[in-house]
Amino acid sequence: MLDVIIQLAINGLLLGGIYALLSVGLTLIFGVLEIINFAHGEFLMISMYLTFLLFSVFGIDPYLSLVIVIPVFFLFGFAVEKILIKPLLNDPPLNQIFATIGLGLIFSNLALLFFKADFRTVKTFYSNSNIIFGNYFVSVPRLIAFAIAIALIAALLIYLKKTFTGKAIRALAQQRKAAMLMGIDVHRTYAIAFGIGIAAVGAAGAVLMPLFFVFPTVGSLFSLIAFVVVILGGYNSLLGSLVAGLTIGLIEGFSGFFISPHLKEVVYFVLFIFILIFKPTGLLGKR
Amino acid sequence: MKSLLTKIIEAANRFRRPLIALAIVLALVIPLIPRNPFYQDLIIMIFFWATLATAWNLLGGFAGQISLGHAAFFGIGAYTSTILYLSLGLSPWIGMFAGAGLAMLVALIVGYPTFRLTSHFFALATLAFGEVLRLLASYFRELTGGGVGLLIPHEPAFRNFIFENKTAYAYIILAMLLAILCITYIFKKSRFGYSLSALREDPGAAESLGINTHRAKMYALLISVFFTSIAGTFYAQYVAFIEPDIVFASHISVQLALLSIIGGIGTVFGPLVGSLFLTPLDIFLRGWLGGVFSGLNFVVYGVILILAVMYFPLGIAGWTKKFLSRFRKPPELPVVKPADIPMIKAATAITRKETGGPLMTVDSISKRFGGLEAVKDLSFTVHEGEILGLIGPNGAGKTTVFNLISGFIPPDKGKIVFNGRDVTSLKAPHCFCRECIGRTFQLVKPFQSMTVLENVMVGAFACTRNPEEARKEAFAILNRIHLSHHAFTIAASLTIADRKRLELGRALGTKPKLLLLDEVMAGLTPKETEDIISIIKSISNEGITIIMIEHVMKAVMSLSDRIVVINNGIKLVEGLPNTVVKDQRVIDAYLGGAYHAAAGLK
Repeated sequence: MLDVIIQLAINGLLLGGIYALLSVGLTLIFGVLEIINFAHGEFLMISMYLTFLLFSVFGIDPYLSLVIVIPVFFLFGFAVEKILIKPLLNDPPLNQIFATIGLGLIFSNLALLFFKADFRTVKTFYSNSNIIFGNYFVSVPRLIAFAIAIALIAALLIYLKKTFTGKAIRALAQQRKAAMLMGIDVHRTYAIAFGIGIAAVGAAGAVLMPLFFVFPTVGSLFSLIAFVVVILGGYNSLLGSLVAGLTIGLIEGFSGFFISPHLKEVVYFVLFIFILIFKPTGLLGKR
Repeated sequence: MKSLLTKIIEAANRFRRPLIALAIVLALVIPLIPRNPFYQDLIIMIFFWATLATAWNLLGGFAGQISLGHAAFFGIGAYTSTILYLSLGLSPWIGMFAGAGLAMLVALIVGYPTFRLTSHFFALATLAFGEVLRLLASYFRELTGGGVGLLIPHEPAFRNFIFENKTAYAYIILAMLLAILCITYIFKKSRFGYSLSALREDPGAAESLGINTHRAKMYALLISVFFTSIAGTFYAQYVAFIEPDIVFASHISVQLALLSIIGGIGTVFGPLVGSLFLTPLDIFLRGWLGGVFSGLNFVVYGVILILAVMYFPLGIAGWTKKFLSRFRKPPELPVVKPADIPMIKAATAITRKETGGPLMTVDSISKRFGGLEAVKDLSFTVHEGEILGLIGPNGAGKTTVFNLISGFIPPDKGKIVFNGRDVTSLKAPHCFCRECIGRTFQLVKPFQSMTVLENVMVGAFACTRNPEEARKEAFAILNRIHLSHHAFTIAASLTIADRKRLELGRALGTKPKLLLLDEVMAGLTPKETEDIISIIKSISNEGITIIMIEHVMKAVMSLSDRIVVINNGIKLVEGLPNTVVKDQRVIDAYLGGAYHAAAGLK
């Protein structure tokens, strides 16, 4: 039994790393722009299709494709902020919510037009390989995905701590007006923050591809996870998202075994409501 | 040319009620006209989507709480009545209410925790909830039929809620539509409607005016969910087939918002207008594009949604209203006779004296924010009829004191007794308002999209349920605070001086015994300051006790009976104006000890 639990914990933690990468972008955008990106899951879906195309057309390995996906998604996010988000920043939440929902609707249905509803995946030589540690199996693509996710999150945290733009982003998250008075170019910084958030979810899509399959509505599945992670982590703490991502991965691992893999969303949701009732600021949330 | 247009519009305005009556008659006749089932279906679908969208709009438009999971409540209604009908033979007419009851119970569980937080969380929670219910419905196959769905056999009978003729369905859904439209229409003009608009615009200000915002949101949610759920039953009975991916589909929730936004969010008839335009388009797009390019119809929706929120946020009804208002003469202000309103004349002096017994006693309250002790062991008493000045350097904790004694933040320790009652443990600011403590905010919080008159009416509704009385009271107050010429101006377009006066008027509407004024003179010109001083005098003459935070020393000195000085959250001095300003500790706190050394004043 103990072996089973440890095995579940390994699987869960590895998955949790990807969940964390998927969610830091959402947290960053919410923390800085005070906008919930309801199209977050759809950005993930597009990145998965991009990775799939790069692999199936050009034969580029999913992990290698990060070099393309991250900058492309940064620019993608940057442009979306400039065109769609910026004009709505001072509008009531309703307009912001439905702008991103509209975007998600367009994305997922364009995907349906181009790719039909088929499930697609990439088959690499390591897709099904495992490393065996004593009694435990560790899936190679999960391990690599986990390592990349943690490395990227660490890089993001360092970037926000050390660089000028990173500091500007954090300043904006704290106090929009004061940051403005300190001479920070608010709109440029917002666009950069949005771009980074989208790049993060893009990266998550790429490392997820060898593990999962993509279809046009895959986004709604993962956006639910991302929402729970963000709420659990305290909606304005990136470190919180990391911890919460790993926690949700673990919970998914265990609930899949002890309850039912089909009911994992229900478990998330119950958790979601419980957090809102008992600790609305999340694990590491401020304010 | 323009005069003709004006005439037409004026006529339309004058005959508004007859026009509405005509529209209802038309709606009643329309289901009888078409013989072609396609058009019959179109009419039913227009009514159906209008019902759902109107219900959504009550919550999303009026109360500003965006639900992205109304499909869940729709689905609960559809499944509950259908399961009860198929397994127990219970008539869907009864099952409809069972479903609505269940949906409302579930809404209570989702809404109760999330409504305490900002509206983002409600949107997130409902979105997640809708998705989860869809998965649950697919999972519990024995109950719901899973992906196969449930088929209702065609056995026409009234008790089965199944009819041979589509006209019957048309009238049933029309009845539902008229019911929710009537409810929305009545609410809009009522105290409840004003509460919803107020809490949408500014929850804090709404609370300060005695509105229990949490409960108002819950009521709006429950009414909205009730109609959504019974429309779910209607759908199940009309189509006779349900499956999770149809009745729990997340795009239903988005569709409701889209109809409301296009038609005019927050207006009574907006969602109906939206449905008149978009439902035929929807059916056309689905028939035309859906078959060949599956998904393209939703792409079109997404584009419409984005364009609407970016360039057409008022919607058709909202835009029309704005357009018409250009031609409408502002309603005549009722003539206010001095006899109707006591103290209409601005006072030049404070006439009453003789302060009474203690009205509020604050007993060593403290409040800590993280490492900062904002208020520390502060005690003071304000007597009935008195004007108490609360002064201190910036950051002294003055506004925190106001927040503590008006219920916006609970004290860590200490006791607040008001009018002989311990009010320390009252849960929310609206309870403090009901105890007759009124307040203004340093950073003014007008209900931006409402008119000046409506703003003050929200305050007046604290004392009456009757809109006419509230309106009268509000007019009287506007006269008193010299703002009646702006009665029909949208609050967002007021100058800062007028906004400050509006805050004052709104708080007066709640008929407070104690009024807390937080820097009502900051940023005003000398003349505007004079004006507001005379208003404060007249309020005081009426016997209302006042605590004022103010930096304009001339005003504090001339108005206050006593002054409390605080610095770093601690009471420095308390006493008569003249003695306080000469106190060395006060001078030190304001100017700093170094000032004296430099000026050689020591």
